[in-house]
Amino acid sequence: MGIWILLPIILPTVAGMFLLVSSFLQHLKSTESELKTADSSLKPIVLITLAVSVAAALYVSWTGDKSITLFYFMKDMPICFAVDATTALFVTVVSVVWPLVGFYAFPYMSHEGEEKRFFGFYLVVYGVLMGLNFSGNLVTLYLFYELMTVTSMPMVLHNGSREAIMASLKYLFYSMCGAYMALFGIFVLHKYCDTLAFTEGGSLNLALAQGNETIILIAVMAMLIGFGVKAGMLPLHAWLPAAHPVAPAPASAVLSSIIVKGGVLAIVRVVYFVVGADVIRGTWVQYAWLILSLLTVFMGSMLAYREPVFKKRLAYSTVSQVSYILFGLAVLTPAGMTGALLHVVFHAFIKCTLFLTAGIVIFKYGKSRVEELEGIGKCMPKTLWCYTFAALALVGIPPASGFISKWYLGQGALDANIGILGWGGIVVLLISARLTAGYLLPITMKGFFTEKKPEEIGMKKGEPPMAMLVPLMILAFVAMILGVFPNGLISYAAQIAATVL
Amino acid sequence: MNAMMMLVVILLPILAGIPIPVLPFKNRKQLMWYVEGVTILTSVLVLLMLLNRPTDSFTLFQFTEELILEFRLDGLGMVFAGMVAFLWPLAILYSFEYMKHEGHEKIFFMFYTITYGITLGVALSGDIVTMYVFFEMLSLVTLPLIMHTLTREAIHASRTYFYYMIGGAACAFMGMIFVLNYGGSSFVMGGTLDMAKAGENVNLVLIGYLMCFCGFGVKTAMWPCSAWLPKAGVAPTPVTALLHAVAVVKTGAFATMRVTYYTFGTEFLRGTWAQNLLMVLIIFTIVYGCSRGLKETHLKRRLAWSTVSNLSYILFGVILMTPAGLVGALSHMIFHAAMKICLFFCAGAVIYKTGRNYVYELDGFGRKMPCVFVCFTLSGLALMGLPGMCGFISKWNLAKAAMESGTLLACVGSVALLISALLTALYIMPVSVRAFFPGKGFDYEKISDVKDPNWMICVPLVLLVIVIFYFGLHAQPIIDAFQMVASGM
Repeated sequence: MGIWILLPIILPTVAGMFLLVSSFLQHLKSTESELKTADSSLKPIVLITLAVSVAAALYVSWTGDKSITLFYFMKDMPICFAVDATTALFVTVVSVVWPLVGFYAFPYMSHEGEEKRFFGFYLVVYGVLMGLNFSGNLVTLYLFYELMTVTSMPMVLHNGSREAIMASLKYLFYSMCGAYMALFGIFVLHKYCDTLAFTEGGSLNLALAQGNETIILIAVMAMLIGFGVKAGMLPLHAWLPAAHPVAPAPASAVLSSIIVKGGVLAIVRVVYFVVGADVIRGTWVQYAWLILSLLTVFMGSMLAYREPVFKKRLAYSTVSQVSYILFGLAVLTPAGMTGALLHVVFHAFIKCTLFLTAGIVIFKYGKSRVEELEGIGKCMPKTLWCYTFAALALVGIPPASGFISKWYLGQGALDANIGILGWGGIVVLLISARLTAGYLLPITMKGFFTEKKPEEIGMKKGEPPMAMLVPLMILAFVAMILGVFPNGLISYAAQIAATVL
Repeated sequence: MNAMMMLVVILLPILAGIPIPVLPFKNRKQLMWYVEGVTILTSVLVLLMLLNRPTDSFTLFQFTEELILEFRLDGLGMVFAGMVAFLWPLAILYSFEYMKHEGHEKIFFMFYTITYGITLGVALSGDIVTMYVFFEMLSLVTLPLIMHTLTREAIHASRTYFYYMIGGAACAFMGMIFVLNYGGSSFVMGGTLDMAKAGENVNLVLIGYLMCFCGFGVKTAMWPCSAWLPKAGVAPTPVTALLHAVAVVKTGAFATMRVTYYTFGTEFLRGTWAQNLLMVLIIFTIVYGCSRGLKETHLKRRLAWSTVSNLSYILFGVILMTPAGLVGALSHMIFHAAMKICLFFCAGAVIYKTGRNYVYELDGFGRKMPCVFVCFTLSGLALMGLPGMCGFISKWNLAKAAMESGTLLACVGSVALLISALLTALYIMPVSVRAFFPGKGFDYEKISDVKDPNWMICVPLVLLVIVIFYFGLHAQPIIDAFQMVASGM
């Protein structure tokens, strides 16, 4: 049975490679002008591949625990995949968002060009993400983490402008820096853990660790900062606001909603499945982690508040929101972890909606700055309504979804015995929520309520094509509905938290 | 198998190489078949010898009672000889295409073939005196290869090379006297020091060790003696690729392994100030080499600086003085050979086809030279230590050994490995990004003259990439072999 895990990993990777090679060969053979015409076989290949792999991924992750060891790099380094509850949660989020953004990307990418290359990488990254989510030990996780960086980089530099190339290199080097810090941690943990396979509650060998706590804690801190790079945590968050504005909108949407969660998943695995929460509870590592995440929450919101470029504003918002998740993980209480996992799900849908809206504005009107968006609601009311719902959810206004996760985060912070950081953290979260309202909602207000007359707005009326609007509506709807009927999800997340804490 | 065989494989390329300039070759093709034939024959003989190891040693002659020329094939020698025997025919194949535009081919192939025999001589040496003799000969015979182009720059570089080598050899020679004085000259795993005698003069013996290590370490471009290697990059690419990334420089690493594990012995050296001092130098070199590489825009010189850093990875494994450290060192010796030769061959292919030398001249080349730049990117990723490729395995082994040895300095060393890996990403990836993504509106007409080279260059590249992936995905057999070597085979 375990063999089925390989299907959602290998199929999109192979299909994506096929597209990449064929795009490359086309470039070798023909001149630039011939390439302008899109390939009619592209759409079916992408859609069928995604459909099959998504179905396989969902089927595999929801039909019980299974595992498979593929092969061994070396005797003590197996490459193995396994399914557990955490995997299922992450896989489901990825597998819902990915095809929706894929639909959206078809019309969007037709104006960016080089669709074949984009969708090639899009499929490969999906396969790699599945590998990351299904990985059963730390080495496998690290393998796919590195691959995720390398394969998602070309999506950032897609348009080939100088800024895009510089931003993608920045992304690459920040991620590599983080990966190597994490690798240092793996070297250390390899010595002190019984196994690098994920075990609920951790597998640190306490007898071996006796007397070596300092190096282990340093290693864990290095891994937190290292994997935290992908999650946009201070001090290595700067790649996010550089990479997002230059990437095509579908790429920044998945980068912000899914790929940053790769970092979150890695941190969950390290803290709760390899080291064990008890090892770092009450140590300087926990406090440093809490402080870093709170600083990031606050700083991200502040920077978003004063940022005039729409996509960059959203990127800063991601920096801030993902650190909500990290804060929830850092308090090391069941409620905190529940809140964090809920926020993983909610933020994925919400941020995806927001970025896709920004993309629609660029696609239709070529406008990228916030002050240019006045009156946009009169031109495309449905789009802006979707945006507004998602924005309200992110601010955390009940009954939208963000409220639930923040409630649990706050409760988790109060449960934990972390002194001033407990209620201080809640204050920061609340301030940040106000700031979130401050940087997201003015777009709605000015969009709908403008004194300008229609002819002054200078934008043609009309919604985007259905292929873009429908995914947007679905995502916004999911973001809302999860807040109205959250019980199933809450109990699922609480169950995961209960097994590891 | 007869121990005479060892003499055969050493002498065959030397004797067949010497007459190349005077042999009456009618055309290039005949020269090519002759040289490739000799090389492949030697490699096949080496392979047969590895499969069927001669256990006894073979003494050629004695200078004096102590100074003898003795050959013996042990585990370490097998690893080194096997690596050289695999790479030499590939490099010869590449050279035939490449040397077309350099000229003076007969002279070139004469020295190139002789070098093969002498490198094998180092691998098969049974004692430190023999190794020293071949070590010296190697310096001399590669000198004309560096001067090959006879430009001012080349002559200057060869002079620098020569001074460094002579200095290193002199230093190693003095260290060798200590070896002969305080222990036996032949190589035995665990060392041959006479403990009672050495125990009286610990510091003196350690100074001897330091001289030996640093002297041989000049060939591995250990700081402060690393400047010769990037300068020697003026040599034709087959020389920079095979000799200055593998054969010559790794002879130095091989010699330090011999000195540390087989002559002085790790029991005696572990935990002394000599170990710590050398480790500091090596860790510094690891970071220093990479940083200089980052600054350099000349592609071959950049790769040469990267070699400086990577050779010190090997030395780092050696200086850990544990079996695991030796395993790490050996794995990086082999894996780095594959990766770096591939990178140099790619750089050489660009020079050969287009005459472009600098990184900023490579915009858009990926689409015009797909084979070369795909291989470049893959081996670059391997050098960065992407899992699934061989660079990760050796880094893992080195770091694991460092963690196991448990000292603070070793821990710092493993951090240095990772810093160096990051710097590697910084100097390799921009080249690939430039080549494949030259930017919006790049005019490919400008580089319409750029094309992939023919099969004689591409086949070695692809083979090396396959090796990189094979050892990255399935490393256990070769690691087992290294473990056997480290446990005293």
